[in-house]
Amino acid sequence: MNQTTFDRSAIKFQDVTTVIGLEVHVQLQTHTKLFCGCATTFGGQPNTQTCPICCGLPGTLPVLNERALQLAIKTGLALNCEIARHTKWDRKNYFYPDLPKGYQISQFDQPICGAGYLDISDSKAAFPARRIRLERAHLEEDAGKSLHDESPQGGRSKIDLNRAGTPLLEIVTKPDFRSAAEAKAFLVELKLILGYLRVSDCNMQEGSLRCDANVNLHVACGEEKIATPIVEIKNLNSFRAAERAIEFEAERQFQVWQKNGATINDAPKQTRGWDDSIQATVLQREKEESADYRYFPDPDLIAYHTSDVEIESIRGQVGQLPAELRALLTTTHQLKPYDADVIVGQGRGVVEFFLEMAAGCGNSRTAANWVGQEVLRYLNETNTTIEQYPVTVAEFVELLALISAGQMDQTRGKSVLNEMTESKSGLASAIQKLGFVAVGTEEMRHLAEQLIAENPDLAQQIRDGNAKAIGALIGKARKLNPNANPGVLKTEIQDLLS
Amino acid sequence: MSDSIDRETAMQVARLARIHLSDDAATECQQQLSQILAYIGKLNEVQLPDNVLPFFGATESVNAVRADLLVNSFPREVMLKNSPDTDGEFYRVPPVFK
Amino acid sequence: MSRLNREIAKLSAAEIVQHIAQGNFSATECTQHFLDSIDHANTRLNALITVAGEQALESAAAIDQLVRSKKKLGPLAGLPIAIKDGICTAGLRTSAGSRMLQSFVPPYDATIVKRLKDAGAIVIGKTNMDEFAMGSSTENSCAGPTLNPWSTEFVPGGSSGGSAACVAADLAPTAIGSDTGGSIRQPAAFCGVTGLKPTYGRVSRYGLIAFGSSLDHIGPLTRSAADAALILTTIAGHDSQDSTSAMVDSSDYSTALDESIKDLKIGVCREHFGAGLNPEIDIAIQEAIRVLADRGAQIVETSLPQTEFAIPAYYVIACCEASSNLARFDGVRYTHREPGDDLEQMYCQTRAAGFGAEVKRRIMLGTFALSSGYYEAYYLRASKVRRIIKQDYDVALECCDLILGPTTPTAAFRLGKHTQDPLEMYLADIYTVSANLAGVPAISVPCGFSRAGLPIGMQLQGRAFAESTLLRVAHQYQQQTDWHLRRPDF
Repeated sequence: MNQTTFDRSAIKFQDVTTVIGLEVHVQLQTHTKLFCGCATTFGGQPNTQTCPICCGLPGTLPVLNERALQLAIKTGLALNCEIARHTKWDRKNYFYPDLPKGYQISQFDQPICGAGYLDISDSKAAFPARRIRLERAHLEEDAGKSLHDESPQGGRSKIDLNRAGTPLLEIVTKPDFRSAAEAKAFLVELKLILGYLRVSDCNMQEGSLRCDANVNLHVACGEEKIATPIVEIKNLNSFRAAERAIEFEAERQFQVWQKNGATINDAPKQTRGWDDSIQATVLQREKEESADYRYFPDPDLIAYHTSDVEIESIRGQVGQLPAELRALLTTTHQLKPYDADVIVGQGRGVVEFFLEMAAGCGNSRTAANWVGQEVLRYLNETNTTIEQYPVTVAEFVELLALISAGQMDQTRGKSVLNEMTESKSGLASAIQKLGFVAVGTEEMRHLAEQLIAENPDLAQQIRDGNAKAIGALIGKARKLNPNANPGVLKTEIQDLLS
Repeated sequence: MSDSIDRETAMQVARLARIHLSDDAATECQQQLSQILAYIGKLNEVQLPDNVLPFFGATESVNAVRADLLVNSFPREVMLKNSPDTDGEFYRVPPVFK
Repeated sequence: MSRLNREIAKLSAAEIVQHIAQGNFSATECTQHFLDSIDHANTRLNALITVAGEQALESAAAIDQLVRSKKKLGPLAGLPIAIKDGICTAGLRTSAGSRMLQSFVPPYDATIVKRLKDAGAIVIGKTNMDEFAMGSSTENSCAGPTLNPWSTEFVPGGSSGGSAACVAADLAPTAIGSDTGGSIRQPAAFCGVTGLKPTYGRVSRYGLIAFGSSLDHIGPLTRSAADAALILTTIAGHDSQDSTSAMVDSSDYSTALDESIKDLKIGVCREHFGAGLNPEIDIAIQEAIRVLADRGAQIVETSLPQTEFAIPAYYVIACCEASSNLARFDGVRYTHREPGDDLEQMYCQTRAAGFGAEVKRRIMLGTFALSSGYYEAYYLRASKVRRIIKQDYDVALECCDLILGPTTPTAAFRLGKHTQDPLEMYLADIYTVSANLAGVPAISVPCGFSRAGLPIGMQLQGRAFAESTLLRVAHQYQQQTDWHLRRPDF
């Protein structure tokens, strides 16, 4: 054991640096598996989505799913990675019953995506903006699922191979994180980007996004710099779990180090699992023998050479990414960083909805307020996506125009919007249903005649083709009859004046 | 290149390959492997040109891919049929740890 | 033996197909003839592990129905063919000569089996082989050894020894084998039949139980080069299920067989005539060279300088690949399982009991050679040596159209002679492994007999995808000689 010359007890937890690296497995959204045509859908009856190829029957051979490669390249481009011109496939050999061939087809020394980076920041400035370097991202096939008998007798395990062969992209970061909050922010941003790219559904419950964290502590003691043994935490199946597990592990390592002073040179990498029920990391049972994966090039697969044309064509499909859109919203649209973050954080659909609304109503902040409050509240409450939102941008803009024209106040406007979303009705019928249009044709004509008579100047302007004048005239109707439907009234006035 | 292996290494390789070796078999295996490795050691005599690239596959063509199109999976009973232990839904194996 | 039987035994594959199409005899009669031969001889020779009598007669009846109704017939309609047991056949047990797969019935057909069936060929049975194709004598089979029909105290060669013995003993007119280091050509030479290992990628490997994936090839074993051409025409061509399958057009290999070989340059490789070559073989090869020279071929000297390193390089690469390819035999999804209290025990006992000694030896060697700290010294170095061996061929085949030499250094050896010494057995492949490392096509044709009455084979190796040149030279040679027509008095 490395005998340190200083007094460990003098070191406080605040004085040590937590060093974290992440390995994220992303299930790519393909129809079929990485090397065969079986479906990748989640939740099928056990062993109903398999074939001789993904079950590793003797004699079968893999053929690469082109789409998986394209999605990997797309992700790599979004993460500023170098895209390999030559990529190849390797076998990672180990025995496990849910690994049908006794090896996993993966990429060892020529991953499809090389070094890259992802910038993270916190809109509430909980930590300074940082650039997290990515080491690589490679494609590999997933294993199946083992269901172990947890009873004390320890009965037989059951194996379901539906998931075996599903395409995964493993994204590996450099050990650049210094806090659990940073690691969580990275995961949130990564998930957001993957959603923007439509490369993964990122459903953590279903295992579409899985994360392992490598954690240790660096202690500076005067001239000396000490690193504690590295621990890999597995089974982080939520952002919250990742954050809590890293925090827990840092504190645990600190306590262990205080006790025994063990450094990275004293112990091999340890694997621990996060147990949500006890909110602690637990040492995982492993065989004594250290893993020796005996990587070598898979002779059943041939290399893939990417071309400029192919990469550029995929680059064209990446689209604007969250960071870029946040900048657009805070500069061009003058939103506060927090508001921009909320909208961008909802995904590309909401951003596009906002941008269309802002363009339609000519006021970004108004659009942001309505989207940020009303639209997101509705999506949250109903657990729906923007694509399912019942109000079209055009109708929304029309509603905002009525409000901004003073024909309806904010409260009435929100009532109308609620009616539109609830009854899935159009603007006019929502207004009508709320009794805002209990004005008959006869009455409306009288109202129009009265308005023209009382406002000859405006009437003349309308005759002269001034579009704004008609709004002003309609605005005057509010005093005469607050329920008058501005649209109907407008038609009446136009009829009378034409 | 090591031209022979000791008994301990032979046992370790057998564990890695998941092949049970009895004590007698381990000795015989160690001797035979050492003999073969000594013969393979001949590869050290080859004068390899600088920067010669390994030839991993007998073909050096590239870019064989397939479209992301669904193919019918095999019926479960067909896939499970050759297994020594199933419950009709899952393959079954002895527990990982006992 | 009936008159019909005597007649069928003399016919080429093309003639059998023609006779069936013309109704001179039926596919059923033909199939029955070979099933009778199998009945008569297989107990002694042990050439077939599984006889598919019922299925074969059903398929034959279907062909006869087509003939009667004058429907269009496939190019191999009614032709019986024996398939090496390492190639998957749907619904027909495929054991690869291993206890591990003794009761394995694949749910799918290998691509070549599908192509043969689609062409009308009738799968008559599965041939014996060294377990997982690891061996050169067909003694390493869980079904016991196959005997050489020329003299049953001798091995038929291996690993496709069952396929070679079938054709030699008239148990099937044609057979399919696989060749990882000589496993088609060496048994072809030992049994006096024609055996072709095509270019790597020419014939799909989908459904061939892998030994060394980058070295494994499927090819025909037949009575003549013309028959080999007929079979190759059906099985060759790109297969989208095999990523290593070549995107190179294949052709009808039968059409150019009779084109002149005048002015073709045939290289005689000096490394193939060194110490270790049995003088009887040397004499037979020299005589074959004279025959080809008489036909107008130009004989030149050539060299493959790295030949002596081919076997060590081959063993490292093949065993590394095998150690990984055979990891799937774990007692979970198929195969034999030994009981075990926990998973590790089940794995270790299953694999210890399911694999034979030679297979275990090679898995161990490959596992060691790929393990941490040894990869560069073994696998990587061997793969670099493989590169320079391939470059030898590139250079040699610039100056000649094909390379001629003996297929094996000796004729068939006695049963049990090399079973105690793995290294001795490995050396039986000395002239054949290089073509697997380089991926070039090679054919073995009968060119004489030893004093003991055992066949001798001549090997022709050619440029990648130049199977037609090999077949043409082999065919012309067989037009001048009758070695390939001789049959064991069995």
